[in-house]
Amino acid sequence: MDGALDFEYEDALLSSPVVTKKRKKVIGLDDLLSDFYKEKSKLVEKESKQAKAQKNYNSDEDVNTKEASLTEVIDQCQNQMKEISGDEDMSMWGMRVFGNQKVPPPLDFPELGSCALLQSFMQNELNSLLELTSERGDTFLEGLLANGWLLKLAFTCGHVEKSIAMWAFNLMLYSSKEELRTSAGDFWCTILSSEDELVQIDWLPSYSELKGALEIYGFQFNFSSKREPLLPGSNCGGPPQNIRAWIRFIAASCHVRDKQSIFSTSEAEELVEVIVCLFLDHQLHGLVLLLYECLQSLISYFTDKEWKTSCNEIGKSLACRVPRDLNCLRAVECISGITTRSKQLKSAVAYQFLLVCFHDKATDEEGILQLLISINVKDKSCDLFKMYIYLVLAENWLLVSQMLENKPVINEMWCLYLRNCSCQIASTDLRSFASKVRNKASYLLQGTVNK
Amino acid sequence: MEIPSSRRTIGGGIEENILAILDASEARDSQDAIDDSIAFLDAVRAASIVPESGRPPTNKMWEAVFQILRVGKSLELIMASFQLLNELDKRYPRVYSSNSNKSKSSSNAPPELVVVKEAWSPFFPGLGTSISEREAAGKNSGGPLDSSSFQLLIQDLAEVNRKANFQTLDTKSLGSMLLFQYLVNFLEGDILPRNSVHEETLNWTFLRESLLNMLLGSRKLNYKGLVRDCLAIMCGLSQIQSAFSNNKIYPENSVAKPPDNCDTAVAIALPEIGKKTCIAMQKLLILIMELDISKKKAEMQGYTTRADGVRTPLVEVILDELTYNSEILSPFLQVFNEPKWKLEIILQYFWKYTAKPSIRTRRSNGSSDDATFSGALKCFSSSTSTKGIIKKIGIEVIQLLLAHGFKAHLFLSTEQCPALGISDCKEDVSGNSLVEVCKNMISAFHSMRRVDEHMEVLSFGKEALFTAATILSTKS
Repeated sequence: MDGALDFEYEDALLSSPVVTKKRKKVIGLDDLLSDFYKEKSKLVEKESKQAKAQKNYNSDEDVNTKEASLTEVIDQCQNQMKEISGDEDMSMWGMRVFGNQKVPPPLDFPELGSCALLQSFMQNELNSLLELTSERGDTFLEGLLANGWLLKLAFTCGHVEKSIAMWAFNLMLYSSKEELRTSAGDFWCTILSSEDELVQIDWLPSYSELKGALEIYGFQFNFSSKREPLLPGSNCGGPPQNIRAWIRFIAASCHVRDKQSIFSTSEAEELVEVIVCLFLDHQLHGLVLLLYECLQSLISYFTDKEWKTSCNEIGKSLACRVPRDLNCLRAVECISGITTRSKQLKSAVAYQFLLVCFHDKATDEEGILQLLISINVKDKSCDLFKMYIYLVLAENWLLVSQMLENKPVINEMWCLYLRNCSCQIASTDLRSFASKVRNKASYLLQGTVNK
Repeated sequence: MEIPSSRRTIGGGIEENILAILDASEARDSQDAIDDSIAFLDAVRAASIVPESGRPPTNKMWEAVFQILRVGKSLELIMASFQLLNELDKRYPRVYSSNSNKSKSSSNAPPELVVVKEAWSPFFPGLGTSISEREAAGKNSGGPLDSSSFQLLIQDLAEVNRKANFQTLDTKSLGSMLLFQYLVNFLEGDILPRNSVHEETLNWTFLRESLLNMLLGSRKLNYKGLVRDCLAIMCGLSQIQSAFSNNKIYPENSVAKPPDNCDTAVAIALPEIGKKTCIAMQKLLILIMELDISKKKAEMQGYTTRADGVRTPLVEVILDELTYNSEILSPFLQVFNEPKWKLEIILQYFWKYTAKPSIRTRRSNGSSDDATFSGALKCFSSSTSTKGIIKKIGIEVIQLLLAHGFKAHLFLSTEQCPALGISDCKEDVSGNSLVEVCKNMISAFHSMRRVDEHMEVLSFGKEALFTAATILSTKS
């Protein structure tokens, strides 16, 4: 019996990944049709099998136990595989930046029924056709918002009253209805981004309200410290969909600085950190374009005077917050804009990470390179994983800034460091990350020589 | 945007080095392979986008980036390759007009169209005129696309939408959506400079050679089927909203947990990518409609030849589809929100049914206003004509048409971005006319109510009336 089991188990293991991998890229009409029929026949087969299984269950208990032991074996193997692949997880970045969601504030808004917009209409004779009442006012306003009328009204009348503004803001951040949160987000973002002051808005949210929303979504401001355990049964599947509207709102509110700034300098610094942290969560992969745009808007929010210090502050604070593994590389590389400021920020963040990596043993650029050069990669105890982190950090720190061109000493030290990494690690070195360090260094070295 | 005069690509040595990052990974299919692909994308970006003096990647590298988007193994990869491709096209456009970046003073000379023939394109040159070539390149999923693979992509998306089961969407379908968005961006990048040069020179050849025109003219493409699928995709994607509203994914005060197998990353990405796909689809339709107009102009001036072929204008195809497939009328009007063309479609739909003989082409700048929205509203001034219209179109459809038409009109009169080009729009969108339109809008509904006492005003109609009344009270 064991033999049969082994055989079956091997089969299952072999065949399943192949099937998923070999998906055709170009799908013909015929393929679609045949797929459809296949799917259909599978369903029929399944049903008949289920019917059979039901019969067997009643008639033959032996088969049943066999099945049970088979599933047990498969489960064991799967667990083993998970463990094996779990070892490699060290080589992946990714953080769960969202923990348990908190209970959002209630969305009902009693003041809404008495807003001027509705009240003035109720006196209108036209109301005989619409039969609008204050009680059903909020449902009606939701329709106005979702279908874009409210935005049109704001632009035609040039004014948004406070209760409407607050109500829409809350819907954007907390509504579970996709159309409401999206249209409320559109409403706010369009008004904030409008070039000239076409619309006068009676209320603007403050930073604390935006930060509060993030906390309700479960964002962990201190995820480097002990993480709160995920409660069973709570919303731990990640952030709610409202996070998209939140990100867009942040980006849009950066445009209004000339008129009325919503964030102070230190708050804007904190927001940059938050956005970088959001890049670290695999669950938000699909939003990288949104995050990218938001980061660009935030970076341009600062005045030239503030920028230099803010840049370093952001770097310092990120360096303390993000663990010094592949996550810190991701944090540096997600700052991918091509503006001068993006490059400055990227370089500053990488530099601060390096300082923290060496526990502030070095205080300036040359000191860091000195430390890097002094590491003996031939030494068996040398941690090549760390070496890889240093190498990529140093690359991002030096290559995007003008330092290599302006300071020949730094340039020379950098080349020496690269040669150390590429020449002193043998291609036969089997330590993990040996080849990664070696390849990276020789690739970079070639780039500097080619210049 | 800087365009190097000699469009030299990255040198051979660097190309080899960068491609080598990828080569190593081809055999494997693991996290390592994904990491290597990411490293490759980063390297291309670092060589071509980041430095100010960067050079475009070679076609081989470009192709490899495109391949990553098409194969789409992970969400991270498809997002990164999508972003990179768009950045590359923006930085190194394949088509541009020569004086677009010069100052106005030197632009007395007619603009010249520059087409970098040797530059990479996701479309097969000639778009599949030769079958043997196509089989050589198109079949191995990596090569450029021809018209039939473009159609297949759209059919694929439409199929996903018809199932309307967004819970089962996977990374692969997200990849198809992004691929489609990229292709539309590319088509747009190809035709916009041609359009602007065509406007100045009236030389139809520029547009005849546009990728979009060649794509639509391809014999392998079933044009009407394509349009039908496009409409299905637009209307289907708009339902994402309701699919994600019913507390299915993240119940707010929940007890129920989302099922573990539901991939959170895909669930979070889907509404965003779906929305962008919808916008891309609308963009594609508008590009085709604009092309139709240019073609008609060229025909009237005798610039076209028999080789240009005949293609039914898209507006007519859409109108037919909306008429015979009436259940998509409401979702279509809901989701198609570009005001100029929306109003055009609504008015043509309206005049198709109403008795007023108005043979109208966009070029006949007739003085009569019956082709405008105000003109349509005037048809409701007498109860006999109102009765007639109700009989022909149906009371609900009229409400939809009027309310959406009003919204489009409102949009045009409070235009936030004049760049959209309302110059060639016949609507009178001045402030006076807006007050007039609001009044007529309200009286049209009153008139319908007089004819049909049991008329139920749709909620969308109510919202339109509310808006009209509120505007009247603030403007007067």
